[in-house]
Amino acid sequence: MMPTSNRMLQIILLLFLSALILAGFLSDGIRETIQGVVELQIHPARLISDFIDIAGIGAAFVNAALVGLTGLLLVRFSGIGLSGPTFAAILTMTGFGLFGKTPLNILPIIAGVYLSARLVGKRMKDYLIIALFGTALGPLVSALAWEFSLPLLPAFLAGITGGIITGFFLPSIAVSMLHLHQGYNLYNMGLSCGFFGLFAAAVIRGFGQFKAMPSHWFVESSLLLELFVPVFSVLLISAGLITGGKQAIKDLKEIQSIPGRLPSDFVDMASLSGTLINIGLVGLFGSAYIFIIGASFNGPVIGGLFTIMGFAAFGTHLKNSWPVVAGVITASLLTGNPLNSPGPILAVLFSTTLAPISGEFGRIIGFTAGFIHLLMVMQTGSWHGGMNLYNNGFAGGLTAALIISVIQWYKSNRTEM
Amino acid sequence: MKRKDLIIKLIGEMSSYILDENPMKMVISLHQEEDGLHLAIIDDAKHSDADLEKLDKTLNSRKRPELAAYYGAMTGHDLLGSSRLDLLGWQIKHSDVVRMGEGVKIDLWLGGDRFDSRQFNIPEKKE
Repeated sequence: MMPTSNRMLQIILLLFLSALILAGFLSDGIRETIQGVVELQIHPARLISDFIDIAGIGAAFVNAALVGLTGLLLVRFSGIGLSGPTFAAILTMTGFGLFGKTPLNILPIIAGVYLSARLVGKRMKDYLIIALFGTALGPLVSALAWEFSLPLLPAFLAGITGGIITGFFLPSIAVSMLHLHQGYNLYNMGLSCGFFGLFAAAVIRGFGQFKAMPSHWFVESSLLLELFVPVFSVLLISAGLITGGKQAIKDLKEIQSIPGRLPSDFVDMASLSGTLINIGLVGLFGSAYIFIIGASFNGPVIGGLFTIMGFAAFGTHLKNSWPVVAGVITASLLTGNPLNSPGPILAVLFSTTLAPISGEFGRIIGFTAGFIHLLMVMQTGSWHGGMNLYNNGFAGGLTAALIISVIQWYKSNRTEM
Repeated sequence: MKRKDLIIKLIGEMSSYILDENPMKMVISLHQEEDGLHLAIIDDAKHSDADLEKLDKTLNSRKRPELAAYYGAMTGHDLLGSSRLDLLGWQIKHSDVVRMGEGVKIDLWLGGDRFDSRQFNIPEKKE
């Protein structure tokens, strides 16, 4: 990758995060926004906690930007240039800053990953991707701190200690989980965090019980919420076309031919301009789907759109995604789950975690993966008590492991002609 | 990663790549020193110039520590699907790809932080 790609991605992300902060303060005013951001830091964050519903658009946007900025600073201080995976991670972190991540609940996890790296003589840059995506367990930190009615100092210490322990275990789990699906589940940290979350939830349930928590899902309409992703998408497409011209279109076509298996850095494999157009297209199609089914653009939905846009630089494109999405939609309809209800909405967006299966093994297997994914993801959230924000990555990882094991068995055992 | 594990994985990934072309011959040679090693793979399958150029580019791609330490664990291990030499390229110091008859000779040089390339006479890059 040319250094200019790193510089351009930095500019894009800084403008994006600045736009979130500006939109946040303009939406709710400075005082109310800051009060809301403070409120979010001490609020339980398990699924589904729509921060827009809890503290307003302004607070949710500013909190998301702060989470994204934390990721950007971590990348910067690790000495790693921005590219497909780091761009995906920062956009994902920002997206989940709208429904679960806060600067306060992600920092202990990052510290834990750092300690783990130091134990085995590695540098933070070696585990950077794990640290960034591992923040999916932010709600575990919040749960330990704020859901057991502890006095402030013990609550704070419980959260920090739990987060550090969590982060410490993530690198070992993440590498093992990769082997389960062989890189065909893009959100591998979703599977890893879900796996760890099973044990964490068992421990918490063993010593007590989670605090009963209502689900938060913002349902009002807002022009700002509806237009943010489409406008951002159009700007990215324009940037790609302006910087790449006709070559960008060729690169976009090349991207559509990549299976997308981990790790597929489209910026390296094609070009930044082609990747920007791909990101914009994924954002536009995702937004169009939300408009068509008549769903609200709220924290989880916008967070989901940010995530799939991020991964459009790191494995996802329209060609490898649509069979999986079609599988999810078909399963939703056949099982009587309304397409505009929270579970299926998020499943459609995040099921693109299985896009590499479609890209490598074809549309029918991709469709099947999507179908199974919907059935799985409707169950898995309760397994980890909603503490793993990447619940679709968890369900997707299990689905991918099943499909890959069957394909591997078949290919390994059938008699060669 | 332990040196032995790394060597096994690199040989596995390279073998997977070579065997995809159904060669009649594949030779793997390993020369190990204290702080580095030289792995040579020779085959007799037909390779186009474009294939060799792509191979050379992939093996000598820029280093990606943030990907190598994490996704690099799949090297030579998760072999379902097409081989992925980029995973391998991130973990080696240098490689050379040269045509040998119809086949190819791939030289890979690896080393720890104390690796001294002069021990292995790494060819200088052509201007």
